[in-house]
Amino acid sequence: MLQLLADGLIVGSVIALGAIGVTLTYSILRFANFGHGEFLTWGAYFALTALGGFLAMSGGGAMTPIGPFSFGWPLLAALVVAAAMTAVLAVALDWALFRRLRRHGNAIVLVIASFGAALALRNLLQFVYGAIPEYYTREIQIAIRLVPRDVMGGMRITPDQIFVLGLTAVCVVAVHLFLTRTTLGRAMRATAENPQLARVAGIDVEGIVRLTWILGAVLATIAGVFAGLTGQLRPMLGFDLLLPLFAAAILGGIGSVYGAVLGGLIVGLAESLAVPLIGAEYRAAMAFVVIIAILLVKPTGLFGSAAR
Amino acid sequence: MTAALAVEALEAGYEPGLPIVRGASLAVESGEIVAILGPNGAGKSTLIKAIAGLVPVSAGRVRLGEADITATPAHRKIREGLGFVPQTENVFAGLTVEDNLDLAASLLRVPKKARMAETYALFPDLARQRRLLAGALSGGQRQMLAVARALIVGPRVLMLDEPSAGLSPKLVGLVFEKLAEIRRTGVTIVLVEQNARAALALADRAAILVEGKERLVGPAAALASDPQVAALYLGHGRRGAA
Repeated sequence: MLQLLADGLIVGSVIALGAIGVTLTYSILRFANFGHGEFLTWGAYFALTALGGFLAMSGGGAMTPIGPFSFGWPLLAALVVAAAMTAVLAVALDWALFRRLRRHGNAIVLVIASFGAALALRNLLQFVYGAIPEYYTREIQIAIRLVPRDVMGGMRITPDQIFVLGLTAVCVVAVHLFLTRTTLGRAMRATAENPQLARVAGIDVEGIVRLTWILGAVLATIAGVFAGLTGQLRPMLGFDLLLPLFAAAILGGIGSVYGAVLGGLIVGLAESLAVPLIGAEYRAAMAFVVIIAILLVKPTGLFGSAAR
Repeated sequence: MTAALAVEALEAGYEPGLPIVRGASLAVESGEIVAILGPNGAGKSTLIKAIAGLVPVSAGRVRLGEADITATPAHRKIREGLGFVPQTENVFAGLTVEDNLDLAASLLRVPKKARMAETYALFPDLARQRRLLAGALSGGQRQMLAVARALIVGPRVLMLDEPSAGLSPKLVGLVFEKLAEIRRTGVTIVLVEQNARAALALADRAAILVEGKERLVGPAAALASDPQVAALYLGHGRRGAA
């Protein structure tokens, strides 16, 4: 039982970080971006490329792990480079596609365009990187037993998974502080609430739109790298997470960052806890169950407002 | 002397080829209050929104002092000195009163502490409610916050779209008293109003807009006492209607 909770929290961390991007995009740009999952995939693969570059520059050897982790400094540096590259990709996609469509003000067109963009991005990635699963590191990690087996089945967790949980918490706190304590963050909240008033209040709404793409892309990259670090890199990595991302955003209340985080953790836990009941092959169906349940019981989500 | 705000043969509308404002012209001198009145659908709000940069302009010019701001994006007009208070949804309801003011001051990098103190001195109610979410304020308090948010950055010209909309007569009086007080600080005011009597009592001059173009412009007192104007455009016999 405890092991399932731990597994659920780790999966939930990845979903939560991705769902923040989905909910931010929705609240600022007013459309559901079904291409967001591809930012996770591209972020993860950009990190793989950057990692390869750093390792090649350092002599071509394997990276020396930091302490108990399976990865070294090159992966952390690669994460930063990948976040920047994914941000550029997201801003370029907005410039080439969404910005033009936004002028017509039809959200449905934007949603359909995001489906198209997702297909194009996924296939381009498969063309560039191939379909064979990749790994950041092939270091074998020994899970640490945190809870003895006789206490609710016990709990073991790898240092990498602890890193994922810790960095997720740091990211969530950072996003919270950004949105509540900085002028740019408050300008983002103001734009999400009322773009027209934001304009006359002196907020550069187009700048805020770019910032939204950048922030969403950075968090998606972190989520993608986490997914790769605790599993493997596949071209379908982001697509497979798309439904949980939207389930988390809807559960938390579309537009609510804190709701997206809580929603992500709940969806992760629901998927994990469902494994003994329905089997691992059907765990992804839990995201559907969560979406249906929340739409029936509280369509505005946990933290959403009816007005949005 | 250069007008504080000059609108020259302005055409504007939401859809290309369908102008709502059709060649409107207006000159507002520094320090005066000008009311824009007219029947429903005359294009009053569209005119003021076009000046603010929220509605596309297809022809004509808008000048703020010497500067041509016709094509200036809305978010830069406030930096040029043109403030605008929309009619509805004119505060950020999800932010506190203080955050509404602080955000405006921070964006325009004005001396925050001094401006906040001045603003709270002008609107003491807001000082008491600074920690409240703006969405929790009453209609009148929201209107005060909206005006305060626009004022804190020190605009030369302040435009208001129907500041009395939805307010009780007592609150309308309070809002208009506050506008008179603001004018005494040297701010030029342009207001679009449905409440013609209150607006003419406050304004120095007024323009009556009909079908997107000014039909009459003159001293507010003269327009208020003109029975033909009252009958045709100001809802003669209907208190407060335009």
